Amino acid sequence: MSGADAVRTEALSKRYRRDTALRAVSLRVPETAIYVLAGANGAGKSTVMKVLMNLERADEGTAEVLGMDSVRCGPQARAQMGYVPEDARHPYGWMSSSQLLAHIAAYHRSWDVSYADRLRRTFELRLDRKVGTLSKGEARRLQLILALAHRPAVLLLDEPTDGLDPVVRSRTLAVLAEHLADGPTSVLVATHQIHEFETLADYVGILRDGSLIAQLSRDELPNVVGRYRVEVPEGWTATRELRSAGVRGNPVREAEWTLVGHRGDLIDRLTVTGALVHSVRPVSFDDAVVALIAHQVTP
Amino acid sequence: MLPIALDPSDLRPLYLQIMDELRRCLATGALQAGDPVPSVRELAAHLVVNPRTVLQAYQELERAGVLYVKRGQGTFIAPSALVDRQILAQDVAQRAVLDARRHGLTTAELVRAIQRTTADEDDEPLVSALGKRQGVRK
Repeated sequence: MSGADAVRTEALSKRYRRDTALRAVSLRVPETAIYVLAGANGAGKSTVMKVLMNLERADEGTAEVLGMDSVRCGPQARAQMGYVPEDARHPYGWMSSSQLLAHIAAYHRSWDVSYADRLRRTFELRLDRKVGTLSKGEARRLQLILALAHRPAVLLLDEPTDGLDPVVRSRTLAVLAEHLADGPTSVLVATHQIHEFETLADYVGILRDGSLIAQLSRDELPNVVGRYRVEVPEGWTATRELRSAGVRGNPVREAEWTLVGHRGDLIDRLTVTGALVHSVRPVSFDDAVVALIAHQVTP
Repeated sequence: MLPIALDPSDLRPLYLQIMDELRRCLATGALQAGDPVPSVRELAAHLVVNPRTVLQAYQELERAGVLYVKRGQGTFIAPSALVDRQILAQDVAQRAVLDARRHGLTTAELVRAIQRTTADEDDEPLVSALGKRQGVRK
């Protein structure tokens, strides 16, 4: 992996009146990485994307795309970005889909007409309808075409498969895999459908209440989340630390938990309480991300 | 497209799983020396995996002498690519042992169970009944 970052935010903070949307978020998407941004609803995922697109201004901190400041070099940065917003409705609802495609194409010198047409056929989208009358799924497909057809260096995808039926969903993911093979592309994708990106992702970031509480490469994940099989002595109770790492209940003899924290530390913490760690197994990407959202990475 | 699929319950790195699947295709005769393999793009789209992961698997297999790249033409199964049945068997055994441990079984118990299960079989590859191509040998 090269050293450059495709997306880089530095201590980004944002408040909406009295609500804090982002707290000192320093996010890094290395070039050509596929970075999954996960977190509960309202954790700040969409706000990060909007700040990167300069649709929202941060109160503090900076955001860069391909080394360009998202505020000072907004248009130049956006020319290199494809964006699927969370909201499926497009502001130009009065245009027909084909008019909107032509309109957006005019802004991009790199617009690939034949690719746009191929995508339209893959997504089985009719273009004669008014954008404002499209169903949620149709609007999503149109947005995907708009985001991909100019072959941007950076893709920001906010719940890209939301509203799609299962067939189009899997077709979309295959299109994405193909797209990535066609040229170097960096992707930041916010999604609740972690399993859909299980085989694509190579980085993951977790937002909780506006803070980026974890940011790791896929290779690092097994060191931080694991399935622990543990034998405990009679009358054993977990420490507060262990509970925040994911230990649940008052087990008798044996238990199995998905725990968050560095393996060595966790084994030490468990051993000190008299517990015996039998095995630590890896968990799926999906399970690891869910555990990271729910629990604390013990420092 | 080749009968290549990934098992979501397999938690090993994806490039290793893809390598295994291609080796499996060689063993079953679905792929033979000189055959082209799917392009990185095709296989990435088929499996919905990161193209870089497919590339990594192909590079490892190239290093192992299983694949070779003809520039501008694609990637092919090397003429000398032998089905390394020993490696394949080793992988299958490793998975079985892992699964046995997960169920709290000892290796000895697993080996005995395999012997009991296969007591009446002769030593014929399980795929020979399916293998339509002549590459499957006894």
